Amino acid sequence: MNTDYALSKLFFDLQNPAAAAAYRADRAAVLARYELEPEVRRAVLADDVATLAPRVNPYLLRYYCSAAGMSDADFLAQIRRLG
Amino acid sequence: MAELVAVVAASHAPLLARDWDLFDEPLKARVGAAYRTLGAHLAAARPDAIVAIGPDHWTNFFLDNLPSACVGVGAVHGGPPEPFMAGFGRETLAGDAALGSHLVATALATGFEPSISHRLKLDHGFCLPLWRMELDPLPPIVPLVLNCLEPPMPSIARCAAWGRLLARAIATFPGPARIAILASGGLSHSIGEPSMGTIDPAFDAACIAAFETGGDEAVATFLEEALPAAGNGGHEVRTWAVAHAAAGGNGFRLVDYLAIPQVYVGCAWATWTPTTKDDAL
Repeated sequence: MNTDYALSKLFFDLQNPAAAAAYRADRAAVLARYELEPEVRRAVLADDVATLAPRVNPYLLRYYCSAAGMSDADFLAQIRRLG
Repeated sequence: MAELVAVVAASHAPLLARDWDLFDEPLKARVGAAYRTLGAHLAAARPDAIVAIGPDHWTNFFLDNLPSACVGVGAVHGGPPEPFMAGFGRETLAGDAALGSHLVATALATGFEPSISHRLKLDHGFCLPLWRMELDPLPPIVPLVLNCLEPPMPSIARCAAWGRLLARAIATFPGPARIAILASGGLSHSIGEPSMGTIDPAFDAACIAAFETGGDEAVATFLEEALPAAGNGGHEVRTWAVAHAAAGGNGFRLVDYLAIPQVYVGCAWATWTPTTKDDAL
């Protein structure tokens, strides 16, 4: 699957702690600024790692899930299910 | 002319900063000792500057503009932006603009076209080893950022060529400067993939053996074949390939190796004995 630029940009931007805090406070408002495909937007809102993983660099996925408030244990459980 | 006086390599991991206080004392002691051994090795070499080779963890570069290699030519670099690196306590690090510019000029004159940056931010990949090695004072840093995170990445053979270029650039840098090289990254680890947390001690041992016994070609042959199965973080071993070639493949010494599941990384620390200046020219 090709890299999803808009999704990657969202994840890249959320490395900034202030941006991540704003995202945790109001995901929809932040997501409105990114041209995400509807399926991808739904996956982001649902923390659907399986749908997101093939579309982004694994490091960005890891950073995003942490910025979004997911625990390391939750992320590991979700990503390992894809193996 | 300047002299290459020391070559060292170390792993890095964000959790070696973020979770440090959660680790038991024996782990902290062993990891701390490994970094400090490298620090003492560097300090004994009395470097005037350090050429540091590391990946960029989506700190300076994004999909808009993703160089294979970038040299930091600034007199000042930004410190690590990650909150977990706050303990390093450096908002900026000194650069060496003259050495950085000489490296770029040497590169362009010999068939390399690196990107350049006058103001890089040095993330944990650079700063975690610099922090844990406890260098005081910290010499000026000339960063060489290698793309080790997002395919396509530079070939191992090209990384070795970069190493030989570094040696040549240092050997031709005007003045009596003493220059060291630090490579940061690897060994096996997997981040954000289904295999996340997997460490491959067999790969790591073979990797160390390749550096102990092999020349640039043997290292490249081994890594090109083995790296794809060593986790995406394993690609950072490219920085070690640069260091190995810069040292003329000479005198590799493993300081320590420890697979550390708590930080997801097969961690290694090593030094080389660089060959003489004449061999680099």
